[in-house]
Amino acid sequence: MRPYTDSVVVTKTVRAVVPFVLTFGLFTLLHGTSSVGGGFQGGVILGAAVVTVAFGFGLDQTWRVLDKALLTALAASGVLVFGAVAYAGLAVGGSFLRLDAFPVPKSTVYATELVEVGIGATVAGVVVVLFFELAGGTDGTNGNEGAEGTDGEGGDRR
Amino acid sequence: MTTAPPATDPLAVALLALVVAVAVLVALFRDVLAAVVVFAAYSLGLAVLWVVYRAPDVALTEAAVGAGVTTSLFLVAIRRTVRPTGERALSLGVRPRSVVAAGLVGGLLLWTVPALPAVGDPNAPAFGPVPEFYLTDAPERGVTNVVTAVLVVYRGFDTFGEVVVVFAAAVAVLVATHREVL
Repeated sequence: MRPYTDSVVVTKTVRAVVPFVLTFGLFTLLHGTSSVGGGFQGGVILGAAVVTVAFGFGLDQTWRVLDKALLTALAASGVLVFGAVAYAGLAVGGSFLRLDAFPVPKSTVYATELVEVGIGATVAGVVVVLFFELAGGTDGTNGNEGAEGTDGEGGDRR
Repeated sequence: MTTAPPATDPLAVALLALVVAVAVLVALFRDVLAAVVVFAAYSLGLAVLWVVYRAPDVALTEAAVGAGVTTSLFLVAIRRTVRPTGERALSLGVRPRSVVAAGLVGGLLLWTVPALPAVGDPNAPAFGPVPEFYLTDAPERGVTNVVTAVLVVYRGFDTFGEVVVVFAAAVAVLVATHREVL
């Protein structure tokens, strides 16, 4: 695991900000049918909250506490939910991706909300995966080894 | 419905000038970290510009993806680089070839601008019968944010494809790093 020096200012700020970011992300995600936002924006904000935590408390430390199975399920759920809703339109006698054919009140609204939640889950999961994979060494072993050789070329290491 | 301000609106002009200035700075900074931070400012300027032009959904996306997530992805990527040595913060030497290439591409793009309909032109395709239908049909179905309605209800096929693309991005990263599980 790479060493991590924590800073009181950063960790306190992250602790204070993240609950609000998560709340805003969930609102953006769930309220997309009647206000600004939707699945993509809400998902990105939720993923960014995890990224913020990683900046505050260390990349490897954060990656260790994340549930990998849950992350995989989140990343896949948007495709699965959207696909299920699309085919459900066929099953109730409508057509593929037809959202107003379900026998519930305000069919279009609820079908859209369901799809948005799925999109948000996929986007949030993928943002987190991309971030930690790009950070290199989500398992803490193949992180900085490759970069060590460039050390002496002049300039400070970040 | 309120209309967007004209292109001569002082706020819009100031924001456009900021965006252009910051874009130039991104290219000039020698330190990649400084360039990344300035690039985030570029996205923030664009996001505010979208709000000025009454496109809050685009603004939210630009702020979250452009200024937020992209910056964090760049930040973790440049940890593998080194800071440049030397006193100068900006690299002002410009190769003539680069100027010619940038001028050529910019010129070609600007050449297409007169083909676009004028701002507010009632005969523009954007004011055809389809948007009218979206604007009346979506609220009747209970989806008052027409942007969401267009994305999921009317053009669901595109959005389905987009979700698959996003998912594919995660799969591609795992393939590139030779991993089968996270």
